[in-house]
Amino acid sequence: MQKNKARSRFIVACVAPACILAFIFMVVPTFNVFRMSLFRWGGYSPNQTFVGLQNFITLFQDEDFFRSCRNSILLIVLVTVVTLSFALLFAFILTREKIRGQNLFRIVFYIPNILSVVVISAIFSAIYDSNRGLLNSILSLFRGDADPIYWLGDQKIVIYSLAIAMVWQAIGYYMVMYMASMSSIPESLYESANLEGASRTRQFFSITLPLIWTNIRTTLTFFIISNINMSFLFVKAMTGGGPDGSTEVFLSYMYSQAYTNSTYGYGMAIGVVVFSFSFALSALVNFVTKREPLEF
Amino acid sequence: MKKVLSMILALALAASALAACGGSASSSAPASAAGSEAGSAPASTAEPTGDYAGQTLKVAAIETAYGVEMWQQVADAFEAKTGATVELTTDKNLEDVIDPQMKAGNFYDVVHLATGREKALPETMLKENAILEVTDVLDMKVLGEDVTVGEKIIPGFTGNLTTNPYGDEKVYMMPMFYGPCGLFYNKANFTEGGGELELPETWDELFALADQTDIPLFTYPTAGYLDAFTYAMIAEVGGQDFFNKALQYDEETWNSAGIDTMFDILGQLAANTNPATPSYANNDNFTKNQQMILDNEALFMPNGNWVIGEMADAPRADGFEWGFMALPAVEEGGDRYSYTFFEQSWIPAGAENPELAKLFLTFLYSDEAADIFAEAGGAVQPITGMTDKLSADNQVYYSVYDNGAKAAIGTFATTAPVEGVNLKDDLCFTMDSVVSGTKTVDEWKTAVRTTVDTLRGAL
Repeated sequence: MQKNKARSRFIVACVAPACILAFIFMVVPTFNVFRMSLFRWGGYSPNQTFVGLQNFITLFQDEDFFRSCRNSILLIVLVTVVTLSFALLFAFILTREKIRGQNLFRIVFYIPNILSVVVISAIFSAIYDSNRGLLNSILSLFRGDADPIYWLGDQKIVIYSLAIAMVWQAIGYYMVMYMASMSSIPESLYESANLEGASRTRQFFSITLPLIWTNIRTTLTFFIISNINMSFLFVKAMTGGGPDGSTEVFLSYMYSQAYTNSTYGYGMAIGVVVFSFSFALSALVNFVTKREPLEF
Repeated sequence: MKKVLSMILALALAASALAACGGSASSSAPASAAGSEAGSAPASTAEPTGDYAGQTLKVAAIETAYGVEMWQQVADAFEAKTGATVELTTDKNLEDVIDPQMKAGNFYDVVHLATGREKALPETMLKENAILEVTDVLDMKVLGEDVTVGEKIIPGFTGNLTTNPYGDEKVYMMPMFYGPCGLFYNKANFTEGGGELELPETWDELFALADQTDIPLFTYPTAGYLDAFTYAMIAEVGGQDFFNKALQYDEETWNSAGIDTMFDILGQLAANTNPATPSYANNDNFTKNQQMILDNEALFMPNGNWVIGEMADAPRADGFEWGFMALPAVEEGGDRYSYTFFEQSWIPAGAENPELAKLFLTFLYSDEAADIFAEAGGAVQPITGMTDKLSADNQVYYSVYDNGAKAAIGTFATTAPVEGVNLKDDLCFTMDSVVSGTKTVDEWKTAVRTTVDTLRGAL
C-alpha cells in the first residue's frame, strides 16, 4: 500500500512538468483567444473594452471575411482532393510497378517538401511570370501571339495558381506515407488477385485502398489542418493576399485585421471561427470516413 | 533515500520549466538577449563624466537601406556628449524584436520606426494612445546648439497629420529622414535625354502621349505605392486646405467634384497601365514592375528615390537615365505636387526615461547628427540648409521643390480602429482590380466614400 502511494506520487511528479507546460502553452493561449474575441483591443494599451459578441456580428457582415472563407474552403477541397489522389496514384505505381530509377522518382517527388515555402514561391513566381515565365513560354507555342495569361494577376485564375503550387509541394510527403503502408500489404494478396485475373485498377480499389484506409483517414485529417496553415504561408509569400485581396485566406485575413488594421480583438474573433471550423471539419471528415478496419 | 532523490529531481525539473515560462517577468534579461540577437551593439565605454552619467537610454531603430552604421555613430556621439549609456537595438524587422518586448511591458525610450509598414506598429500604438506626446521637444534647445528644434525643422514637417496624428496641436511623431515621391521615368524617352516625346506638364498631356508611343504609360511597383501618389493627387485637385480636410475624412471634401476628377484621372491611368503590372504587384515580384521602366515597357512609375539604389544592379535599356518629376498638373498652369515621405521617431508612453529620450530626440536634429546621417547613410534630415550639403545625385530629387512643385505632407488622421475597414486597401489596392477590369472606377469611388464615412465616425 505504502509502495503504491509512493509510486503514484512519483508518476504525478514525472507527468507534472509536461502537463504544466501544455497547460501554459496550449490551454491558456487558446482560452485567451476565445476571451480576447469578446473585446475591442488594439494590442498594446491596457484599455480593453468588453463588447460581447459584437466582433462576431461585424464578422458575419464582413464581405472580405466571406471572400477569405470561400478561398480557404476552395483551397482545402481542391488541394486535398488533387494531392491525395495523385499521392495515392504515384505511391501505388512506385510500390507495385517495376520502374527503372524508382528511387530517383521517390526522391524527386519528395524534394519539394524539403524546400521552404519562400523558395517554392520564388520558383513558381518564375514559372508564372507573365512575360518571361516558363508556363506562358510553353503555351505560346500553341496560342501564338495572343495576350499572355496573367497567372498571378488575373483574379479569376490566381487562386488556382496558388493551388497548383500547394499540390506540388505536398504530394511527395503524402506519397512517401502511403508507400510505407502499401509496402506492408502482403504480396500474396496481389498474387492471388493476379491468378484470378483482376486488373491493376481492380487491385488498387479492392486491395490497396481498403487495406491502407486507416492511414488515409489519418492523413486526411492531418492534411486539412495543415492546409489551413500552409495556405497562409503560400499566400503571404506569393501574392500577399493580392491582387486586391482576391487571394486572402482565413489566416492572412486574420493577420491583416489583428495587426495591419490594429483590431486585435476582431482578429481573435476570426481566430475563434477558424478554430471551430477546423475542429468541426476534422470531426466531420473523421465521421464520414469511418469504416470497419480491415486486417491482413 | 532513492525516493527522496527522485522526488527532488522531478521537482527541480518542474521548477525549471516554470522558471522558463515566467522569464518575461524579469525585465532586463530578455531585453538584452533579444537585443544581441538582433544585432545590438554593446555601448561603447564612454567615460561616465557627463550630466547624465549612469543613465541608460534604450534606443530601437529600424535597419533600412540607409544601414545601421549611422545609428551607431549617432549613439556614440550622444554618449560622448551626455555621458549616458545608449543601448542600441537595430533590426530589419524591428517590429518582431520590440513588439514582444513592449507587449511584455519592456518599453524602449526612443523608437525610430515609420508608419505605413505592414505590421502597422506605430499606427496601432497611436490608435491605442500608447505614444508619448512630444510637443515640448519643439521648444527645447538642440543638444549642444543654441537653436530650438522647432526652429531647425523645415516648416511643414511639423503640424501635419503624420506628426500630429489626432489632428490637433499635439505632436507625437518627430519627423526624420525625408525624400520626395513622384514619377520616375527614363530620360532617354523624352527630349531632355534626346528622345522624341515631350515631358508632360499636365495630365492631359500625359494621356496624349498614348498616341505618340507604343509604350504603356504607367506602372506601379505594388498598389501600396499609390498612397503617396494619391496624397499628391488630392492636393492637386483641391489645394492644401482641401488636402488637409480630406485627410480628416471631411464629408463635403470627399463628395466634391475634385475627388471625382481624381478618380477620373486614376481611371484613365488604370486604362493606360501595363497589363502585366497587377501580376507582379506583390512583395516577391514588385521589382519586375520597376524593371519595366528600365526596359521601356512603361513610361512612368510612382516611387521614392530609394528605387535608384534598389535597381542599381538591374540591366537597362541603352542610354537609360533616371528622370524624376512631380505629378503633372490637373490643368494648364495648375499646381504640381510631390508627396514628401518622411520617417518618424517617437517615444512609447511606457518609456522609463522620457526626459533623456527627449534630449536624444533634440540631438537627432543637431548639425553633428545630421552630418552623420548624411555621410554614413545618405539619409537626409528635414532641417533647413541640409539640401546644400547633399551629393549632386541626390540634389536632383531634393530640388524638385525648388523647381516649382509644391510639397504635400501628412497622412490620414488616426481614428479608433474599425473592424474590417481599411482605407489604404480601398483607396490603393483597388487599382489592381481596375487595371484588370474586375471593378469599375465608379465602384472604386463608392467603396472609398463608404470607407471614409465609416472612418469619420471613428475619429
